[in-house]
Amino acid sequence: MTEGNLTTADGPANAAGPPLLQLKGIVKTFPGVRALDGVELEVLAGEVHCLLGQNGAGKSTLIKVLAGVHRPDSGSLLWHGEETSFSGPQAATKAGIATIYQELDLVDDLTVAENIFLGHEQSAAGFVRRGRMRAEAAAVLRRLGHGDIPVNRTVGRLPAAAKQIVSMGRALSHDAQLLVMDEPSAVLAHDEVANLFRVIRELTARGIAVVYISHRLEEIREIGDRVTVLKDGRTSAVNLPARTTRTDDLVTRMTGRTIEYVFPERTQRPEDAERVELAGRVDRAGSGASESTDERVPLLEVTGLTRPGEFVDVSLSVRAGEIVGIAGLVGSGRSELLETIYGARRSTSGEVRLNGRKLPPGQVSSAVRAGLGLAPEERKSQALVLEDRIYRNVTLATFARYAKAGMTRAGAERAASAEIADELALQPRGVDRPVKTLSGGNQQKVVLGRWLLNPASRAESPAGRSRRSAGTRLLLLDEPTRGVDVGARADLYRVIRRMADEGMGVLMVSSEVPEVLGLADRVVVMREGRVVREAPAGELNEETVLDLVMAGSLLEVDSP
Amino acid sequence: MTERVDVVTPPAEGAPDPGSHAGSPPPSGGFSVRRWFRDDASEPVRRNLGLIAVLIALYGIGAWSRPDIFLDLNRLWSNELTVLTLASSIGVVAIGMTFVIISGGIDLSVGALLALASVWATTLSTQSYGAVMMVFVALVVGTVAGLTNGFLIAYGRMAPFIATLATMVAARGLAQKISGKTTQVVDVKAITDIAQRKFLGLPWLVVMFLVVAALAWVLLNRTTFGRRSAAIGGNGEAARLAGISVRRTQVIIYGLSGLCCGLAALMVTAQANSGSSDHGNLYELQAIAAVIIGGTALAGGRGTIVGSVLGVLVFSQITNLFIVNNLSIEYQLIAQGAIIIAAVLIQQFRVGSLRRRPA
Amino acid sequence: MNYRKNNPNGGRLLVRAVAVTVAAGMVLTGCTSNRPKATANSGSTAAAAAGTTGASAPGKKVRIMFSGPVADHGFLAAINRFAKEQAAKYPDVTFTALEAAPDAPSQIAAVQTAIAEKPDALIIFPQDGDQLTGVGKAATAAGIPVINLDRRFNDQSAYRMFLAGDNYKVGFNAGNYIGQKLKGKSDAVIGEITGIATLALTRERSEGFKDALAIHGLKVTRQVNASFTVQSGQAAMANLLAAAPKLDAVFNHDDDQNIGSEAAAAQANRKEFFIVGTAASNTMLKHIKNGDARIEADVTFTPAIAATAVSMARLIAQGRSSDDLAGLPLPSNMLIDSELVTKENVAQYEKFGWD
Repeated sequence: MTEGNLTTADGPANAAGPPLLQLKGIVKTFPGVRALDGVELEVLAGEVHCLLGQNGAGKSTLIKVLAGVHRPDSGSLLWHGEETSFSGPQAATKAGIATIYQELDLVDDLTVAENIFLGHEQSAAGFVRRGRMRAEAAAVLRRLGHGDIPVNRTVGRLPAAAKQIVSMGRALSHDAQLLVMDEPSAVLAHDEVANLFRVIRELTARGIAVVYISHRLEEIREIGDRVTVLKDGRTSAVNLPARTTRTDDLVTRMTGRTIEYVFPERTQRPEDAERVELAGRVDRAGSGASESTDERVPLLEVTGLTRPGEFVDVSLSVRAGEIVGIAGLVGSGRSELLETIYGARRSTSGEVRLNGRKLPPGQVSSAVRAGLGLAPEERKSQALVLEDRIYRNVTLATFARYAKAGMTRAGAERAASAEIADELALQPRGVDRPVKTLSGGNQQKVVLGRWLLNPASRAESPAGRSRRSAGTRLLLLDEPTRGVDVGARADLYRVIRRMADEGMGVLMVSSEVPEVLGLADRVVVMREGRVVREAPAGELNEETVLDLVMAGSLLEVDSP
Repeated sequence: MTERVDVVTPPAEGAPDPGSHAGSPPPSGGFSVRRWFRDDASEPVRRNLGLIAVLIALYGIGAWSRPDIFLDLNRLWSNELTVLTLASSIGVVAIGMTFVIISGGIDLSVGALLALASVWATTLSTQSYGAVMMVFVALVVGTVAGLTNGFLIAYGRMAPFIATLATMVAARGLAQKISGKTTQVVDVKAITDIAQRKFLGLPWLVVMFLVVAALAWVLLNRTTFGRRSAAIGGNGEAARLAGISVRRTQVIIYGLSGLCCGLAALMVTAQANSGSSDHGNLYELQAIAAVIIGGTALAGGRGTIVGSVLGVLVFSQITNLFIVNNLSIEYQLIAQGAIIIAAVLIQQFRVGSLRRRPA
Repeated sequence: MNYRKNNPNGGRLLVRAVAVTVAAGMVLTGCTSNRPKATANSGSTAAAAAGTTGASAPGKKVRIMFSGPVADHGFLAAINRFAKEQAAKYPDVTFTALEAAPDAPSQIAAVQTAIAEKPDALIIFPQDGDQLTGVGKAATAAGIPVINLDRRFNDQSAYRMFLAGDNYKVGFNAGNYIGQKLKGKSDAVIGEITGIATLALTRERSEGFKDALAIHGLKVTRQVNASFTVQSGQAAMANLLAAAPKLDAVFNHDDDQNIGSEAAAAQANRKEFFIVGTAASNTMLKHIKNGDARIEADVTFTPAIAATAVSMARLIAQGRSSDDLAGLPLPSNMLIDSELVTKENVAQYEKFGWD
């Protein structure tokens, strides 16, 4: 931005001179793994260059090479046409490459201004010049079209979208010429993505290049200029036109398959679920399935549930064998609702009934005993003990039920987990490795597997029935496919549908409207803590739901 | 479900897991020493082997500097019994501490709780009721004080560091108040006998230490309580959302640590033939150090009883080695500090956690 | 546990010279044994007859203030007790003990408050001699005579009198006793269990011990550090016994430590050696009297110096001196000699015992 690189916004194809950035034959190996195996990349000033690839294709490693975190083993990196190598992240930043990681590296306890200037504080004689920093931070945010973000607020109090803007502001404060964004839309709701795109367009109009990584093909078509596809550490396609390349073509290059989302077929009448024959799976449905599919008593009944400031007077119900999807923006109260039903938060009024029995508010353990399960939004921080073995994560909620007289039975746990892992096609096989070594989609399968385990059937053995072993009857899913790549998503959808088919009720929250519409039998739309619509999925389409869901601006949505 | 959809990626960029990438046989395959040495699951065993290596090295130094003790089986046996006996009370405390640290907490009050329990159990009036009452009082005082820690932390939502710092100061003060700052000599023979009797050639104190270690091993590795403790330390939020009653478990963990302090108080009382508000001085630091070099993660989630026991033995052996060589205390302190640093560094390189955290 | 830390600047010879001459100190220490009146009648009859100048005779009313550290140990608790008891014996003394200070800064604050009250004399048992020197000087400048007890200020102008036990003699007497017992046994194995190694008093005791043994042609075979606690004494003895299969004698720097050391020896079933303790606690005096433990002798380092300090402060405040100084003023430095306690003379030391 400093030099006269102000190409016009009419397309990078016209840009003269050498590309801003060129990678040739980049190889990066880690002990035992060739993470990058000859990657090519060409980024022109003023373009949005999309990077596409499944989890593990090498995107993150490539980003870290660009950011100066990793030094490639071989291959060359040309910056402004000159061969360069970055000695570290600071060198890359100094050269003009700014990276915004998926997990934004902002410090929650510092203010917006402090975050923007983190690491290069404006100072005079060792004293930080707060006033000037604030003024410049405000200027940067205005340039991003978000002068409304208060520079003195601590970042922890901002909604996700605003944090993203602050991250970009930090990049701009470095006079970046290339902005690398790793899945920036993953944490954003629909209208916030639109906002982000507006900002990106303004940046590219000034000649700044953006490397944009996303799983969402529709976004790439909307914002991208050209696409480079990575597969297994290699570039399987370079510089495809983003708007005109066919979706199935892109997916094929990424995965070898030709579809984006495959939603499993809906079971037409969920109340018929009990009649569906499922060879070898009858036991898992649990003895409760037949009672709970009684149509007149919904499996889950929520009435008038309220938590001031989060959601008000929410009533909904889920029947056995039914998938109910909640659509709404981040901050519409949907995750909080899920956690309140689960007992992780305490409601101020209203009640939750499972199979007609009232659940005590604010008690997770009773909810779990009664047959509720939750796959929370933040898999790593809320659901998994990352360092621990897979099977111990699978049995985290049920190990006590496998135990005899307080003594755990690792063998039984391992066997049950292995069985579940096989059914979910967990890759790689084997349940003894730490769960942190799995990809996002497989980690999610571990969490789902946790609630699929049903030691209840064991308890019915002659040894007698354990009073605690209800087995999971209702599963609460919060953003089940977040951070999961396309191929694995289809897999998860099938798993979720099958769980419903076996008589479980599912209540699911998702930011992705097509996901809710495609997977759920019934859809509940939430806005600002209230249910604004409830209808069978077939009666809604994407536009209607988006209309219902959207309201307010970036900050109004989430600010206290 | 037949197609291999979610392509297995060697745990994402920059964090390759040596065991999982294509080409290596599945874990169910035959045993391979090389793979075992790189497998995450065998990590605790490797750490403990490292500590055993340190102990052997210490014996080597002993054999070199004092062959008359370390190469004479009879004298070596009696010397090692001394080392074990001196390690027994701090060992019991360290075992309680292991549970606390695995659950992601810390207990700074152990030394003070030990002092309080020893003083309470040896007042003239307690002694007048006899040995059984003294044992009962020591264990109850330790447990109740530990439970107090637990309640402050779990239900008062205090940081463990702060809560146990407060009880540390208060318990030491209460111990001084009760004893009037004097050393309370024990006249009950059954109590002092604990430090003198032997069982199959092993001093009772050592037997108590080993029995506590064995029970703790079972408790940690084979019971639901142990699983809950590790889960809480590994990821407290995940444990809570999986329906584990985190707070109740925390209370029990600190109560257990307190119980260990009460038992250790008895052992020290028997050994020192007295109760005193000075007992257990700096035990909190020694116990934490032993647990950490034993391979328990200070952040919680992982740890072993065997490691803590070995950690205590390493420290006790070092002290013994310096004394039999007539070296003064300053070298001993330097050596202990160096061992802590070396042990943790070695573990980190071996486990590869430094290498694996590039960004 | 850095009580009894004193005399950091050496100057041992000068102090020694003074100490040896101070018979008055001994006499006055003796006074604590009985009521002051009785002592006055029996001990100073001549002086009393000559006039009313006897040191114990009532003088003008004086106010004495006392500042000491928090008594977290039996010895320090005894210091406070001896001071109070001694003051109660003088009808002409108003005695105020200041709030015990947990650390040096709070003791400085307490002493400053005391200065404002203008007592006739101030006894300071400092947490830390160096840190308290400033307020010592301030009190002196305000015209208040200061009796510096046990831990010496680093500037002589900060006190009127420095009064302490003699650590060198503690070690020396112990060494001398052991030397006499083991006479001619040049291969004797002698152990020493010290207090906190970093303290000046520990070094002085060790030095005296070594010097005395040398006179008898002996030396310390094994030295182990403890920390003035029972538990540390137990561990130190256990390790010492493991290192030395046979011992002849052990000098233990502290009687509290020695409770643990005796226990360790009993646990190891070792009886071939004897112990000399330090500071004459009740527990150890009882053992010496009954002959039922390894301890045979003890060297005094008595908390009763606090009683002496009160007596000295009273005389200084009243502008008087001791009769036995032949008209000269009270000394500015006074080290109370250490004495050997054995089964033969243990009875006369029981009154100084502490728990």
